[in-house]
This record gives sequence, structure tokens and C-alpha cells, in this order.
Amino acid sequence: MQSNPLLGRIAWNTLIALLYLFLLAPIIVVFIISFDTRQYLAFPPESFSFGSYVKVFQNVKFISAFWRSLVIGAIVGFVAVSAGMLLSLSLVRYQFRGKAAVGFLILAPFLVPHIVLAVGIMLVIAPLGLLDSYPGIVLAHLGITIPYTVRTITMSLMAVDTRVEEAALVHGASPRMVFWRITLPLVRPGLIAGGVIAFLISFDEATISLFIVSVKASTLPTEIYHYLEYSTDPQIAALSVILILISVAVVMMVEKLIGLRKAL
Amino acid sequence: MADHHVVIDNLVKTYPGAQKPSVDHVSFSLPRGEMLALLGPSGCGKTTILRMIAGLIAPTSGAIRLEGRDVSSIAVYKRNLGMVFQAYALFPHMTVAQNVSFGLEMRKVSRAEREERVRKALDLVKLTGLGDRKVNQLSGGQQQRAAIARSLVIEPELLLLDEPLSNLDAKLRDEMRDEIRDIQARTGVTAIFVTHDQDEALSMADRLAVMSAGRLEQVGTPREIFDRPQTEFVASFIGAGTFFEGRVAEPGLAVVEGLKPLRFVGEAPVGSMVKLMIRPHRLVLAGSSGLPNSFTGTVEHIVYRGQMLTLNVRCGGRLLQADLPTHAGVLPEKGSEVTLAVAPQDVTLVGQVAP
Amino acid sequence: MSAAALPAAGASSANASRGVLLMLLLPGLVALVITFLLPLIWLFRASFASSTMGAFSGGDWTVQSYSAVLFDPFYWRVAWNTLVLGFNVAIFAVILSYPIALFLVRTESRFRGVLTALAVAPLLTSSVVRTYGWMVILGDRGVINSTLQSLSLTGGVIRLTNNSFGATVALIEILMPYAILAMLSGFGRLNPQLEEAAAMLGANRVKVFTRIILPLSAPGVLTAALLVFVLAISSFVTPRLMGGGRVFVLGTEVFNEATVTLNWPLAAALSVMLLILFSSIILLYQRALRALET
Ligand SMILES: Nc1ncnc2c1ncn2[C@@H]1O[C@H](COP(=O)(O)OP(=O)(O)OP(=O)(O)O)[C@@H](O)[C@H]1O
Ligand SMILES: [Mg+2]
Repeated sequence: MQSNPLLGRIAWNTLIALLYLFLLAPIIVVFIISFDTRQYLAFPPESFSFGSYVKVFQNVKFISAFWRSLVIGAIVGFVAVSAGMLLSLSLVRYQFRGKAAVGFLILAPFLVPHIVLAVGIMLVIAPLGLLDSYPGIVLAHLGITIPYTVRTITMSLMAVDTRVEEAALVHGASPRMVFWRITLPLVRPGLIAGGVIAFLISFDEATISLFIVSVKASTLPTEIYHYLEYSTDPQIAALSVILILISVAVVMMVEKLIGLRKAL
Repeated sequence: MADHHVVIDNLVKTYPGAQKPSVDHVSFSLPRGEMLALLGPSGCGKTTILRMIAGLIAPTSGAIRLEGRDVSSIAVYKRNLGMVFQAYALFPHMTVAQNVSFGLEMRKVSRAEREERVRKALDLVKLTGLGDRKVNQLSGGQQQRAAIARSLVIEPELLLLDEPLSNLDAKLRDEMRDEIRDIQARTGVTAIFVTHDQDEALSMADRLAVMSAGRLEQVGTPREIFDRPQTEFVASFIGAGTFFEGRVAEPGLAVVEGLKPLRFVGEAPVGSMVKLMIRPHRLVLAGSSGLPNSFTGTVEHIVYRGQMLTLNVRCGGRLLQADLPTHAGVLPEKGSEVTLAVAPQDVTLVGQVAP
Repeated sequence: MSAAALPAAGASSANASRGVLLMLLLPGLVALVITFLLPLIWLFRASFASSTMGAFSGGDWTVQSYSAVLFDPFYWRVAWNTLVLGFNVAIFAVILSYPIALFLVRTESRFRGVLTALAVAPLLTSSVVRTYGWMVILGDRGVINSTLQSLSLTGGVIRLTNNSFGATVALIEILMPYAILAMLSGFGRLNPQLEEAAAMLGANRVKVFTRIILPLSAPGVLTAALLVFVLAISSFVTPRLMGGGRVFVLGTEVFNEATVTLNWPLAAALSVMLLILFSSIILLYQRALRALET
């Protein structure tokens, strides 16, 4: 290590580059293979075409699952953000007995394996007849997304100078107006970041979803999972690329709004 | 006091869980158009009083009256006050004009009138043409002005300023001092401002209310506060001075240990112990003054300050501080013996000492 | 007081009105109770119920699911597989993540933000998608096999999927971003000046690494290892797809009992056992962390 600093540096940088390659390998490979059109999985692609993409768009199952995932993700995002906003307000702005317990309850889903939660949620909503339904899957995704929205919104809320809100109050804004005109706009980055993360978690979530939905409310990840049990053709690659692009858009949005590292 | 514009009546605030009140039976009042400075060391309760007047916190007891009307039951946003916060608290997501316009919007003022009044307010604080700037594109002084414009545009009943100058650098502070004074005079708004800077208070306010540890020590004009402090705290907090303790031997004459008897002006029963104070600049070289009170001692320390010479004179076992004008003829040197004198009316009675 | 009682009134609202507070807390807490607390309680209850297809009867308490698991050597093997998978994945994910995290902490590159995002962003891509990527790479006609064959390095196909090797490799990569993230937060105490100081005191680079960098980064590494381990032992999508039904771990068995066999009490019992495993490891971790810090 101490022989030649230049050589050491090159070796170190090469190592880092290789590790990054490993980390991003599946995404890169999926991208390449998505331009293949054979019925089976093989590498390298023998053609370059958008055939697989066309097939995806003609696949009724995938398209309808895509829309369902989109709707479910949007509802989950909205509800998680609303609940998260209220919870964050109470945690940041109020002192009350049991606050620590509430804080723990909010963070606890981070600590429990998703598969365990999945079985529990399945057991709870099955007797209610909510298995394989929109309300069921939305509920199932709320528990795991609210911690994230609370985190991003709490961060934004703590950064809001309460003097600014007081200034608005003194200058004639009712508490309701202060909320809509001052507090809400100031925490907007946290709201949006929390919302898109919640959306994305719901949109990408497979573990819990697989326990909750089967046919009627199947989401895109569950459809892909079931498809992959039998076939691995490049259609999935094309679909994956679309999913990845959505993730990239979300990542860039979150990074811009509050910084990715703080949000995760 | 009844016809006063703003009346603070026996205000008390004890924060939940606190042992003793942060504001303890404070009363003062302001006639319309007056600028009053709330002065006191850090933590004495100035901000607390201001926030109670604004309605941001509720008093434990006591009343606040505007135009004779008790405002305790009026919500903060209906009191029609203006407030300039220490760090300005401008709305960071709005432009300067939107900030200034905010209070008018809340009052449902028509758009045309709003624009007109915002423009006038910006002119008043010399921010003409900066209305479209984002708040973070303003300098500290400009933010200060924007905050003042935001408070004044609603034509408030009362303007509250919490340490409005503490975030500015020294030069800007002097400039804004005059500026705020000038704006207040032109608008005629009644104003209370908080500060712990005595120069600021003395130069800006019509009257001062000096506080210590939650209690009001003295209210008066800058002259009264400076020349006739009624308590030892006020005397020592504002301006420098040398303090003496003595027993009143006859009306207006106190015997101080190690010194010649001191003549002073003020009422104190014969035989009581009193606290007296002499401001450094009231002392003169005794030579030709013919004043009754004189002190002879050795110059221990000299600081040359341009127009002033500050002497520390050891006299009867204590140090006496004196500021002499540098044009006062032959000046004493370190180690030399001097005799200083002071007029009886400049020996201020600042309090009685409990026996 | 009117204003102080309302949410927007600022930090002064210590004596908040109960009503408003309740309004703020209720929706979120109800959601969390329904989607988190209740499920855990139900899970526990169900694990002690007698088995019926696709349901569990509330009336009786029995330990039959637990005894079914504990007396069946198959589940012992499954538990063992799970632990092995967890350890392998944790160790390799940490080893491979460590240089990246170290690099990201110390680099002065202006691409640092982008590189950090690139390292943790895979977290936000579906694990199904990334598992598929590994199927493409490790599959019989995948990247590795076709490359080896075109170079004529091997005659036949090397089996890299449908076994625990594939599951392990894919999980390592899928969980690496968590490890990197944990290390980035844990490396706060690493500070180039310390290294420089050590170097000036005559430590060579190996010494600087073993005496300064490694001890200071140990808590972050430990956290990362724990996180990856617990995520690995509770995973099922990747082991299921990469294992092609031939890899049996707790996750796949839970899924199997819950959705195929429909023996819910058994699925619940397995989940409870997973949770116990999980909690004991977290407790161990806290012990270890405390030991490291003293
Ligand atoms: N929200 C609060 N809760 C409890 N005690 C408080 C609170 N706000 C202020 N205090 C206490 O009340 C006293 C007066 O505080 P206040 O802020 O009014 O002082 P101040 O005169 O404005 O001081 P400064 O010049 O430092 O701003 C202090 O002892 C302070 O610790
Ligand atoms: Mg203050």
C-alpha cells in the first residue's frame, strides 16, 4: 500500500468503479436486454428494437396493473402525506404526554420485517373482506409509508421559523390562514418529497402486496413477480426500464427538494 | 393614565413550570404617538411583555388596554398591531411586496388599494422599486426596512419592535436608529421597542421603561433616567458612575466613611443610610470651581479618549471615576495628586440602604 | 388562549388545546394502529389458533402450529438456510459497500452528490426489477454464461440461478444501498484531519487504516451489517425468484403457508419466530454497539 501512491490511487479508483458497476449491473443489463425481442432470456441481444416495449403496451394485464399501481400509489401518497402532515404538526409543535410513544409507533414499522407485517395485515383485513381490494392494498401500504412522510415533513417543519408564523398572526392572519398561507407553503418541499417517496414505495412494493392482492387489485410488481415465475422474456425488461425511469424521476425530484440522503 | 393610548396594568407572567414570574406586576402607559423603549439586561422579561401585548402569549394576570379597551380577550390576529421581530421573520416564500401586502390581504383590502399602499409603504422605508425582490435577495438593513414596512402598512394601533437593530452591524445600526425614529415621527404611530442597548434607548425613545428581573425599575424620559435614576440598578445599568454609601447627618448632607461629608439633593430621613452616585462627567477639577463637595486623591490610571480623559482616582480607600474634557487646561498625570469637585445636584440619591 | 391553542400559533403552544391535538393525531394513529399495531397483535393471536383453510378460528388457544414447526426437521433446515443466507449476504454486502461508503465520505469530487445518489438510488427501484436484472446476468443463457461460452472458457452451462448462490448474489446487491446508507450516517466521526495527524505522527497507510479508520468506522459497519442481515432473513421475493422454488428460507415458507397451503396459523407462527429471531439479533447488536463504544 505504501509503495507507489499513484498506483495505489489508480487501484483504489478502479475498485470503486468496479463496485459501482456491480451495484448498477442489474439495471444496466435490464436496459440492454429490453431492446431484444426473443421469446426467451439470452445475452447479448441479437437485435436492437423497441419490439418488447410495443409488446408491453399491448399487454392488457400489464397496462391495467400499471394504472392500478398508479392509482393506488397516488392514493397512498396523498393519504400518507395528509396523515404525516398532521402527525408531524403534533410532534413538532406540541408537548403532550405520550409523545414518545407516538413517535415510537410512527417509527416502529421501520423496525418490523415487511413479511411479518404482511402476514399480520392479511390476517386483519381478510375477515373484513378487503383482501384483493383497493382499500385493502392502500391500507397495507399506509403503515410502511407514513414513517417516511412523517420523517420528511417533520424535517421541513422543524426548519420553519415559528417567528414567521407569529409574524403572520400578528399582522392579521387567523390560525387557519397562517396554516394555508405560511406553514403549508414552507413545508411544501417536505410534503412533495414525502408524497413521491410514499408513491414510489407503494408503486414498487412487492412483498406486502403479494400477500394482499391476487387478481382484482394486482399491482404491477405483483404481476411482474407472477410473470417471472414462468417466463423471463425481454418484455419484463422493457417494463422494468419504464419502472426504473419512473424511479429516476422520483429520485431526482426528491434530491432536488430535500436531498435524497435525508429522505431515506 | 385613563386617557393614555396604551395602558399596561399590573401585568404578570409566570411560565408554566417556572418558579417565579418572568414579568412581575409591571405597569406603564403611553400617550398616542409616543415611542417607549423597554430596556433591561438579557432575560429580564422584555420580550415576554411584548409578546403579551401582541397576544402571542397570555398574561397570568393583569390587563392590557388599547384606547381604554381591555384586549385580553381579543385574538392576536384581531388586535391590529404591527410587530418587527428580532430576526425580521419575513415570509421567506414571498417577495418583498407580497410580504408587505400580506396584512392588507388578510384585511380584505381591494387589490388596487393594496398596491397603492404597498408602494407608499416601500417608499416610506426607502425600498422603492425593490418590491419584486425575493426576501433572501435583500441585505440585512433592507430586510429590516421591509419588516417595518410590513408592520406599518396596516396602520397598526401600536407598533412593537423586538430588538430591531441587534442583527445589524454597528454602522448600519446608527443609520437605522435615525431612520426608525424618523419613520415613527412621520407616521405618528405609537411604538414600544425592546432593547438592551442603553445608547439605543436613550437616543431613540421619548421615554424609557427600565426593567430588571421581571420588575419595572423606573419609567421616565432619557434625561430623567440618566440624571435622576431612582434605583441603584437603573443608576448602574445606564451610564457609568461611582457609588457611595453614607448616613444622612442632616437634610442634604451625608457622612461617607473616609471622605468629607457629601452634599446631595434629595429627600431622605436624617439618620438613614443612603446610596449616592456621581456620574464621571459631572466631576470637575476643583481648582476654581468653588463647589462644596470635593475629593482629593492620587491618579491611579488614565485613559485618553480624544475629547475625554478618564481618570481613576484613589480617594479615601475607593476608586473614583472621572471624565474630564481634554480642553480643561492643565491635565493631571498618573501618580499626581488631584482634587475633584461636584455640585450637590449631581450627587444623585439612588436609594436607601436597609439598616 | 385563542391563538396559542391553534396549530399554527408557534412553539409557544405548550399548553395546547386537547381538541386540536386529538384532531391532529387521530387520522395518523388510526392508520398506524390498523396497519401496524393491530396486525402484530392479530399475528400473535393467530399463531396460537388451530388451523383452518384460509382463516383461523378465534375461539381456542393451541400451540399446535409451534409444535408443528419445532418438531419438523424441515423447518430446522429452513431456519438454518435462512441464517446462512443472512450471514453470507450481510458479510459480503458490508465488504463490498465499505469502500464505496469510505470513498463517498472522503471524496472531494464535485460529483460527490451524484455519486451518492447513484449509490443509494437503487433503493428506490423495485426489488422485483433488480431481481430480474440478476436473472438476466446469472441465467443459463445470461450475461456470465454467454460470455464464458463465447470465450470458450467452459463447455457447458454453469448453474448460477435456481440455487442459493443466485439468491445470495442478488440479495447482496439489492441490500448494498442500505449498507452504504447506514455507513454514510455512521461515518460521521471519520475526519481526514485525524488521518493526516496520524500520518504526521509517522503511521504508514496500513497503520492509519487499521488504527484510525477501521475503529472509527466500526459502529457504522456494525449497523450496516445488522440492517442487511435482518432484511436478508426476512426477504422472500428475491430468494423465491432467484431460487426458482429450490431455495427454502423462512420468507418463502411464510409466503407458501399464507398463500398456497393457506395454513394461516402456521404462517403466523413462522412470522412470530422470525420476529423473535429479528428482535434477539437487534438486542445482540445493541450489546455489541455498547461494547464498541466503551
Ligand atoms: N417559553 C418560555 N418558557 C419558559 N420560560 C421562558 C419562556 N420564554 C422566556 N422564558 C423565561 O422568561 C424570562 C424572560 O425572558 P424574555 O425572553 O422575556 O427575556 P428578554 O428580556 O427578552 O431577554 P433578551 O434580552 O435576552 O431577549 C427568562 O428568564 C426566560 O428564561
Ligand atoms: Mg428578548
